[in-house]
Amino acid sequence: MFDLSNRLLVAHKTIQTTDEITMRFFNLYSDIFITKGYNRILISDLGRNSSKLYPLELYELIAELKSTSIDRVLENYEPESKIIVQEYIDYLLEREYGFITKEDWDRNFSPLSYEYQDYQPISNLFIEVEKLTISETLIQSIANLGIKHLAVFCRSAASLQELISFDNAFENTPLEGMEITSAYTTELTKDSFALLQRQSQRIYHLQFYQCQEIPLLSNTESRFTLDFTKDTLAINSCGKVNVADFNTNMPKVLEAINHNSCLHKKLGIDVAGNIKNCPALPQSFGNIHEMTLEQVLRQGAIQQYWDMTKEEIMVCKDCEFRNVCTDCRAFTERSHTNKLGYDISKPLKCGYDPYSNEWSDWSLNPLKQQAIAYYGFKPLNGKK
Amino acid sequence: MILIISKNNEVTTTAVIKELIAMNKQFIRIHEDEVFDINTIKKRIVLTSHRNQFFLDEVSAVWYRRGAIEFNRMRYQNQSIDRYMFEVQHWLVEYVLKSLEGKKHINKQSNSHVNKLLVLEKAKEVGLDVPGYFLAEDMEDVIVNQTIVKPISGTPIIDDIKEQHNGIMYTSVIEQKSESDFFISFFQDKIEKDFEIRSFYLNKKIYSTAIISQNDEKTRIDHRRYNSEIPNRNVPYKLPAEVEHKIDLLMHSLDLNCGSLDFIKSADKFYFLEINAIGQFLGMSNACNYGLEREIAAYL
Ligand code: SF4
Repeated sequence: MFDLSNRLLVAHKTIQTTDEITMRFFNLYSDIFITKGYNRILISDLGRNSSKLYPLELYELIAELKSTSIDRVLENYEPESKIIVQEYIDYLLEREYGFITKEDWDRNFSPLSYEYQDYQPISNLFIEVEKLTISETLIQSIANLGIKHLAVFCRSAASLQELISFDNAFENTPLEGMEITSAYTTELTKDSFALLQRQSQRIYHLQFYQCQEIPLLSNTESRFTLDFTKDTLAINSCGKVNVADFNTNMPKVLEAINHNSCLHKKLGIDVAGNIKNCPALPQSFGNIHEMTLEQVLRQGAIQQYWDMTKEEIMVCKDCEFRNVCTDCRAFTERSHTNKLGYDISKPLKCGYDPYSNEWSDWSLNPLKQQAIAYYGFKPLNGKK
Repeated sequence: MILIISKNNEVTTTAVIKELIAMNKQFIRIHEDEVFDINTIKKRIVLTSHRNQFFLDEVSAVWYRRGAIEFNRMRYQNQSIDRYMFEVQHWLVEYVLKSLEGKKHINKQSNSHVNKLLVLEKAKEVGLDVPGYFLAEDMEDVIVNQTIVKPISGTPIIDDIKEQHNGIMYTSVIEQKSESDFFISFFQDKIEKDFEIRSFYLNKKIYSTAIISQNDEKTRIDHRRYNSEIPNRNVPYKLPAEVEHKIDLLMHSLDLNCGSLDFIKSADKFYFLEINAIGQFLGMSNACNYGLEREIAAYL
């Protein structure tokens, strides 16, 4: 119904006053959030956690309906366009994006605050380790900072005992959940997972790579989900931008409006102990063997990307998905920096072009080859 | 130090505590299974349970959320002494409770369960619109389909009504008159509503939410077609200043500084329904991005 753009023809006639009839007004609910892209808009229903694409002309219409009565808006269009406008309004009502009042807008419906508030100083920590172990000082820092989620990338194969000890090391800390990616050892059998299930409390996702034969399927009763892959994974496997990963929920969207959706309140430690925004980023702000996470945070430099929203990032700033999309500052097209020298280029692993509205395989894009070579990705890395 | 009186695992309490930790405010959370002894150390009153110990004068603020703070009572063999000591302990406990309630607080253990009937009378006194209501033991004055019946008690849940079953009482519309007499019940005029409003009151500030459900089809709200699987929509709302002023008067007259109030909007009127001093409000707070858990933590 909405694939035709710019069908609306404005009538160039003088507007008659229609005071005699009671005018109708369209009230858009305050939890309907519209992101304007280059060619299209994305309407996010923050109350119902869903988003839908619409043509740009609906954006103009909604804007008009905010300052003008429905009846006056209709008067502005030629007869054929009037039908379409009426269809749009019907559709907005059908989706329950708003409601109609007579005489005036219902001004008691107040705007939604887009402020993002979160009590935690750090929400996620991502660490890369050679062997699945963790130092007492780091556990202490995790507790002090009230970190609730930990992601671990282990470069060798973790044993059952290591998995259990790693989970139990966080007894008496606020850490609520952890996901671990590790190489696979055939020592891990169905029985080991049953034991792990009983003896762990925080692991909610396990991913094993270099696994030739899958020992069991993830079952829904298990407290953690399991994934196995034959491939060899490395930390640079992260950062892909896929529609499937976009999700509409109020805290995420508010965070994206105000902060960087990839790095805000996140910390990473790479395999050499360098403290970074994300282990895949080059810049280090200190080493965990010499400094604590708290000290690095107090320096205030690691927060540099936290407030870089998509409005600042090239291409993304024209993309209708920018407030539901993830970002990636580790792998970018390396094409632009801002005055402070921060990278404001589009994420490398995004195949979307907001100017043509087409998705393509990012790894095959000729314009990206230079950046791909820079990061040392193999040419076919991006293929599914 | 902030004293929090709540039940174990109560989600709102946990959410507020996270904010208190982030604000670096000291607190003690009292659980429902805790019983305190009242003692003195160097002329200061100290309260001790198996989990907590604190001086009465250390407490700077009290948040009464749920449950109650309980005290041990000593019993004595000699009946006369027992009676006498019962009274002594009663005064001591009362002193402690009153001292706590005299501190900066959010709600009080002593008045957080409000009497619905008294609240409605007070609401009328302060000038709020209240749907017509009456108490009756039969349905003589009931107009079918225009009258609703509601529980008088605060909690609508009847524990163990049958073996293994709890009963829950809903507000319902009378569709058929019953011939027989029954225990005195609360009847109220059914109001055609545009939508409902829940207002959270905290120390003179009011945060309201319009609760739009698809069943509220009325002239002003025109949702057209709808789907029963679509959840309610909860959006920020601002009550007119005069209604907010009356809410403030009502809360004062009930000596409450925190609570949720329910209203029905019908054309130009806002009908007051009831107050819940200890209800859940985080759902509304999240939907409207009000951050009420932070407001509470900041006030304490
Ligand atoms: S261009 Fe790609 S990365 Fe940028 S906001 Fe759009 S979908 Fe996300």
